[in-house]
Amino acid sequence: MKKCYLTTGIIFLVLFGFLLTTNALAVDKVVIGHPACLSGKYAKAGEQAIGGIKACIDWVNNVYGGVLIDGKRIPVKYKYYDSESKKEGVTSLIERLITVDKVNVVFSSYSSGLTLAGAPVAERYNMLYMDHGGASDRIFQQGFQYIVQTIGPGSKYHVGTLNMFNHFDPKARRVALAYEDSEFARMTMRGAEEHATKLGYKIVFKRTYPKGVTDLTPLLSDLKANKPDIVIGGGHYEDGQLFARQMSDLDINVKGLSLVASATLPAYYKALGGRTAEGVMGPSHWEYGVTYSAEGAKKVGLDWIGPDQDEFVSRFKKALGKDMIPDYHAAEAGAQVLAYVKAAENINSLAPDKVRAALGKLKFMSFYGGWDVDDTGMQIGHSMVDMQWQNGKRFIVWPLEAATGKLVYPKPKF
Amino acid sequence: MVKYYPLIPVLAIYLVMFLIGFYIEGMWQMVALLAFYCALGQSWNIFMGMTGYVDFGYVTFIALGTYGMALGISYTHQYEWLGIGIIFIGLILALFLASLSALLESFIALRLRGAYFAIACIGINEGLKHFIEGARIWGGSDGIIFYGALIQAFGRETSNHLTAFWADFAVFIIAALAAILNIYYMRSKIGYALTAVREDEDAAKVMGINTTKYKTIAFLTSGLLGAAVGAFAWGVKLAHVYPGDVFVIHYTIECIVVVLLGGAGTLLGPVVGGLVYGLSKYWLAVVLPGFQLLVFAPIIIIIIVVFPEGIIGFVKQKTKSTPLARYII
Repeated sequence: MKKCYLTTGIIFLVLFGFLLTTNALAVDKVVIGHPACLSGKYAKAGEQAIGGIKACIDWVNNVYGGVLIDGKRIPVKYKYYDSESKKEGVTSLIERLITVDKVNVVFSSYSSGLTLAGAPVAERYNMLYMDHGGASDRIFQQGFQYIVQTIGPGSKYHVGTLNMFNHFDPKARRVALAYEDSEFARMTMRGAEEHATKLGYKIVFKRTYPKGVTDLTPLLSDLKANKPDIVIGGGHYEDGQLFARQMSDLDINVKGLSLVASATLPAYYKALGGRTAEGVMGPSHWEYGVTYSAEGAKKVGLDWIGPDQDEFVSRFKKALGKDMIPDYHAAEAGAQVLAYVKAAENINSLAPDKVRAALGKLKFMSFYGGWDVDDTGMQIGHSMVDMQWQNGKRFIVWPLEAATGKLVYPKPKF
Repeated sequence: MVKYYPLIPVLAIYLVMFLIGFYIEGMWQMVALLAFYCALGQSWNIFMGMTGYVDFGYVTFIALGTYGMALGISYTHQYEWLGIGIIFIGLILALFLASLSALLESFIALRLRGAYFAIACIGINEGLKHFIEGARIWGGSDGIIFYGALIQAFGRETSNHLTAFWADFAVFIIAALAAILNIYYMRSKIGYALTAVREDEDAAKVMGINTTKYKTIAFLTSGLLGAAVGAFAWGVKLAHVYPGDVFVIHYTIECIVVVLLGGAGTLLGPVVGGLVYGLSKYWLAVVLPGFQLLVFAPIIIIIIVVFPEGIIGFVKQKTKSTPLARYII
């Protein structure tokens, strides 16, 4: 009798164990978690990011067929909450996403501060944490193990711009740097200074101005006295407008003017009344009109995944239910979905540590451009594009493989 | 001892919150969020609730507390022999900076009343933020990021526990300490003096009460508790500080909402206010992402209209002659 009980017990345990194992293995969906910024100071960028993520998930599920794991196509789901652009919201919601919603990956909120706020919680749970909004290089100097960046680091914003000027006019060597005194702008300035020095440029002027500045004439007068060929700087939309307007007032005509986080915005030209914005440039992670394609990827020896630009735009509009052109916030968040899918497929697993390792080795191209990260998880494969205002229209002028127009150089006089 | 009975429900609530967070998976960060609001409410209540002075610059203390912790850790993490002592150094620095600020504010702002006091406090907060950015002290606008310093000092595993558990646990302790100080002040000469200030400051002065002294005591206590909350909830927990992220008046407004919801000048009020505020925000963010503020604002208005004395003010009225009255103040 005892033997009978023992045998029954063993059979029961084996069956129970088998059921548990089967349940554990039977993955029927991949869930992306996101403490989004639907309200608060990053609400606009947050809406774009959600649209971009939804558009790419739509493509993965309905065109690509899902994530291929163990020979089976698994659909991607998206779970997001509103962090209100606040650090307290980010930490509590990330834990909920990981423990209650059992997501496979967490996308960061937005900005370096909010990305940093969520990183310790993600690390605590050994959860893959993908950053599409925190551009600070210092995030990747802290030793986080599970963070991977899609947005380009702040120090690289003006690298392409300087390469472009160097390419088109190797004789113009005098560069002036004038940035807002914010973490992001200072990081951009440091990167620009370093790269300019590497290219042999002479930094003839370097200064920051405070946030919310209302008068740049003293700074610009000094800048003028140093006779730069190229001026690069900026920080935000408002000071970017003031910068160009007061350069015009002071009749400071230079060969090239590139301003971060302002000149790329569609409203910039109109806000400056047209003429003043002519020829002004700005770096951007992505612009509508870029010409990245499967053929282009093949030429440079990279795998391609994802929709082409037009398909991305149409799926973005469908996702948000608005006739809105996506900006770079949408593109980088969308590209992050594609990076995750590609890495999970490469390693044939959804385990966060394995996908993190696979992301470290991943190189590919999508509508967003190149993608590659270094050992710390910092993005090094994505090149910024530089756009220029020409007759009221925005043209991508650099890099040449993504260009939609030719650079107008020297910049037209104010 | 009977006079300390009202502490029982407050500490019981904190204990239940802690146990829920500790034993139920996925609840820790949520209860930590609630503890943060309760601790802030209770700390702010010591000054505002008892004196009636509305300190719009209260976030200055929280921000300075965060900076104190950031400076303490980032400057001392390389000394291995200090061990966990670097957190205590950070806390001492946080309290020191907050004391300096409180004394400065006492000197300038506590001589003022009403709207003038409120504006002076906002001015000090904004001035300090711009000073840090403009003079480029403590990293200026680049702020201080010190997660790497924590890893260097304690190793990865301990750092993760520090940021995701012990920092929140410390906030619970501060919340409990704030409650104890609250009732101690309420039941002592300090509390009576402060109540006199709230009711009629001029009359209190005529009666021989050194109003500046008692206001400074309450202001300093409230500020130090706020700095301790900042040191752990924003400092150790987030391991970074940017001036633009911490000197934000919005957090003072949250303190006001928490205290008014629960009942200003009461002991249990800030706890109930913190719970109602934190839970509503959290659940609405989960259930109605993007629309939670639209729903939340009318809820706050309704509560304030229905309970003008706050939820605990209302409960106090209803339990006036019952045995429960001794537990609710």
